[in-house]
Amino acid sequence: MADFWKLVQNENMKIYRRPRTWIMFGFVVLVPVLISVLVAVMDGTDSMNNWELMRLESSIVFQLITVFAVVKAADSVAGEFTWGTIKLLLIRPWSRSSILLSKYISVLLFSLLFIAVCFAVTFTVNVAIFGYDASPKGLIPETSPLAGGSPWTYMGASYLLLFVSQIVIVTFGFMFSAAFRSSGLAIGLSIFLLLSGSLISGLLSLTGKAWIKFVLFPHLQLMSYLDSGTGPLPNHPTTLGFSLAVLAVYFVLFNLVSWTVFCKRDVAG
Amino acid sequence: MSQAPIVRLQEVTKRIGSRTIIDRVSLDVQPGEVFGFLGPNGSGKTTTIRMMVGLMSLTSGDITIAGHSVKTAFRQAISRVGAIVENPEMYKFLTGYQNLVHFARMNPAITKARIDEVVELVGLQKRIHDKVKKYSLGMRQRLGVAQAILHRPSLLVLDEPTNGLDPAGIRELRDYLRLLAREEGTAVFVSSHLLSEMELMCDRVAILQQGKLIDIRSIGAQAESSSAAEEVLFEVDQPDAALGILEGQGAGRIVDGLLTITADRDLTAAVNRRLVEAGIRVYGIRKKTKSLEDQFLEVTGSDTIG
Repeated sequence: MADFWKLVQNENMKIYRRPRTWIMFGFVVLVPVLISVLVAVMDGTDSMNNWELMRLESSIVFQLITVFAVVKAADSVAGEFTWGTIKLLLIRPWSRSSILLSKYISVLLFSLLFIAVCFAVTFTVNVAIFGYDASPKGLIPETSPLAGGSPWTYMGASYLLLFVSQIVIVTFGFMFSAAFRSSGLAIGLSIFLLLSGSLISGLLSLTGKAWIKFVLFPHLQLMSYLDSGTGPLPNHPTTLGFSLAVLAVYFVLFNLVSWTVFCKRDVAG
Repeated sequence: MSQAPIVRLQEVTKRIGSRTIIDRVSLDVQPGEVFGFLGPNGSGKTTTIRMMVGLMSLTSGDITIAGHSVKTAFRQAISRVGAIVENPEMYKFLTGYQNLVHFARMNPAITKARIDEVVELVGLQKRIHDKVKKYSLGMRQRLGVAQAILHRPSLLVLDEPTNGLDPAGIRELRDYLRLLAREEGTAVFVSSHLLSEMELMCDRVAILQQGKLIDIRSIGAQAESSSAAEEVLFEVDQPDAALGILEGQGAGRIVDGLLTITADRDLTAAVNRRLVEAGIRVYGIRKKTKSLEDQFLEVTGSDTIG
């Protein structure tokens, strides 16, 4: 186990020794600071409370982090093929599945780290500018099952749900990276998944077919359970548990493809 | 040569689709031996090497390294191997040292002292903390060798190791490989199409063509077989007259202005004596040795890439 951690250490080194990682880090810090400062300058500090702005900024930064994590997932495996270093990596006394797992873990750790930074920055900067509001109005929608509850519970639940969707999107990108060795495809399709989710679920909900409920896209919009109390498909009522189960199935499927293909394929050219 | 071989290829075959890339190749490499793997481009050298180090699967046959099959006991087999497959690609955004740390972490028990020792061995002390993207090809090659020998492998596999090296670098690498084989008993399996280079470096060479092993020969044995009759060239002032003198002395002929006869050592001396006694000026006598290149072309013919 200590030995396996060394593989993760290696992957971490390859992530954090690259300047681009710190450019990404800069974005995650700067974007919320800029938004808060702009709002404070233009509308004054009474217009919004710290929680509302934190929610807004977090939802933006989460999309950024998803994109960054997908870029890392794409680099992590497809990059090794492009650089040719995969040949040096796979000729060590480690099974291919261990090596792939260490890469997957390092990408998830990257995503967790950036989420933690996002939470810390959005909380701190907004408290610093707008003051701390213990019982904020306008943060939790009336329709939310958490309405009237603590802002901490609400923010915690949003981060959890956003993180779950993010894991699925990153796993999707990782699959393209590991199984198809294409970082472009991995990044492109994952961003498509990230951005077009709500559009496609809107379209899908227009038809009455029952299989719509099993399509991946709508279930990535987990926030709808928290904000409106209902599922992401207006005409097809689903529960949070159902959405999580669907996501879990896709999650397993994506990983199955990644591992099977990566562990079996010949490394040539 | 009675030791257990460090590498054994048994009827190794690789098919991709309907094409047979490697066709029933069998060979053994002994510990401490520098074994050359020769073949024209596209003959399957790199494919064979990729199968040896587990980057490609075998269609049939088996490869064992120190007795462990790469198919069933990959981790045991590969832990004895250091390799550079094709170009020594390293992480360009890391320093040379970070690259070595990276690969050191993947093997058990490689100390910091060992990394320093290897760095010194390949002569990269001054630049090891620079980013690899600033390295020249020769320096990358050295770093490639460094990562391959970190864990003191019993078998070093090098694919076209002299690609891109200058003559000094090639010579250095050759000396170093010889040293490894002699001092540490490391077997070196090296592929190349640079025949003259292989001649200087290897104990034995195997020649591969269109996926088939067509010959394995000892380089040393070639040089020793000097007592056999060979083509001998005489550089003389009057080739035609000389040929006349040697009438009855067997098959003499003139090639490029040189008197050429087939003779062993004694006959060569006798011929020289007769020529001198007949007043012919003999400027030089040399054996027409076949270089490995000649032999190689002889064996492979001028076949096109299959």
